[in-house]
Amino acid sequence: MDLDHAQTVSLMLGQEFLTWLWFASETSSGLFRTKDGEAFSVTVEQKVSVQGGEGEAKETAVCSGPMAELREARMGLATGKKVNKVKVRIEKDEAAWQVLLDAATFTLQGLKTPKVDTKLEEGEDPDARILEKIYLTEKCMAYVDTAYARFLDLRFSPQWKEETTRLRRWLEG
Amino acid sequence: MSASVGLTRYRIVEEDIPSTLWHEIEDRLKRNAFRDIDGSAEERSFGWVSFDNMLDPDFALCPPEKGPYLAFTLRLDTRRIPPAVMKKHLLVAMNEAMQAMREQGKKFVTKEQKAEIRDQVELRLRARTLPIPACFDVIWDTDRQIVSIASTQSKLTELFEELFTHTFGLTLEPLTPYFLALQLIGKDRQAELDEFEPTVFAQGGA
Repeated sequence: MDLDHAQTVSLMLGQEFLTWLWFASETSSGLFRTKDGEAFSVTVEQKVSVQGGEGEAKETAVCSGPMAELREARMGLATGKKVNKVKVRIEKDEAAWQVLLDAATFTLQGLKTPKVDTKLEEGEDPDARILEKIYLTEKCMAYVDTAYARFLDLRFSPQWKEETTRLRRWLEG
Repeated sequence: MSASVGLTRYRIVEEDIPSTLWHEIEDRLKRNAFRDIDGSAEERSFGWVSFDNMLDPDFALCPPEKGPYLAFTLRLDTRRIPPAVMKKHLLVAMNEAMQAMREQGKKFVTKEQKAEIRDQVELRLRARTLPIPACFDVIWDTDRQIVSIASTQSKLTELFEELFTHTFGLTLEPLTPYFLALQLIGKDRQAELDEFEPTVFAQGGA
């Protein structure tokens, strides 16, 4: 397998996914469902970074702010840039996760899971809180993977053309 | 376990992991455990310690098995001499060397002597600098053979990948968009991925 090629495709795929995720989070309320039927929502918030061009002409625009409308980043998309980092909030019932996704590597940066009570109750297994933290971290990964699987289904299907038209309309609006 | 964490995920490439490996986990971790360098002048040291306890390289307080997971921590200690400190002490040593040369009737310090002085100064300062410890938690899901490390810095993750392979004889494949897609859509559709052409979303854009 050509690792350089895999890296190039990774960046393109990742950028397209994050761009689509932003669009999906705004147009279809960001609602997703896991294979087991668990519903969760994804919202883009606080921070989006868009990138375009190549080599020395590469340009990045970062928009951030607690209640930002991310207008500049959206304008960046309209001029051909793509999302390379995005901060998302994932919600499932009362629980919420926050994470910054990176397009090229899919590393999860600054992941905040719902709070785990770190105080041990008497007689409680000390591993319990470790297992709870692992469980909550894995949940977040599973949700991101579900959204990515949904994107891949669309991306490699004839419906992608239609989805692209809708995405363009969202950009223009 | 901090409140906010950066994570890099991997898949274990080997499909048939020998079942004997599961009984050797703790021994293998101990064989590649962290070794303290507080009392020496070594620049860095790295190895495994038990999860959530950087002072336990023997896994006495916290065994790695946690239900279907294996949890342990990569500890990396590094001695860093602040550049300004190095600059000052090098200047002092150079001046002393020049003085000694002049007393011997010589005019200058050779390139080789300068390099030697620099090495000596560095070693002397390193011996007086305390190593800075850093810990990165590792979680291994043994049902799905997915491994995560709590870091997104490429230098650290490269070090981790090498040490993991050295310890367990298994190869890690980072779950980047390409490899994760391969997992999700299946290897039989790899050609579609390899021929991927980006979509143009903006009307007049690149």
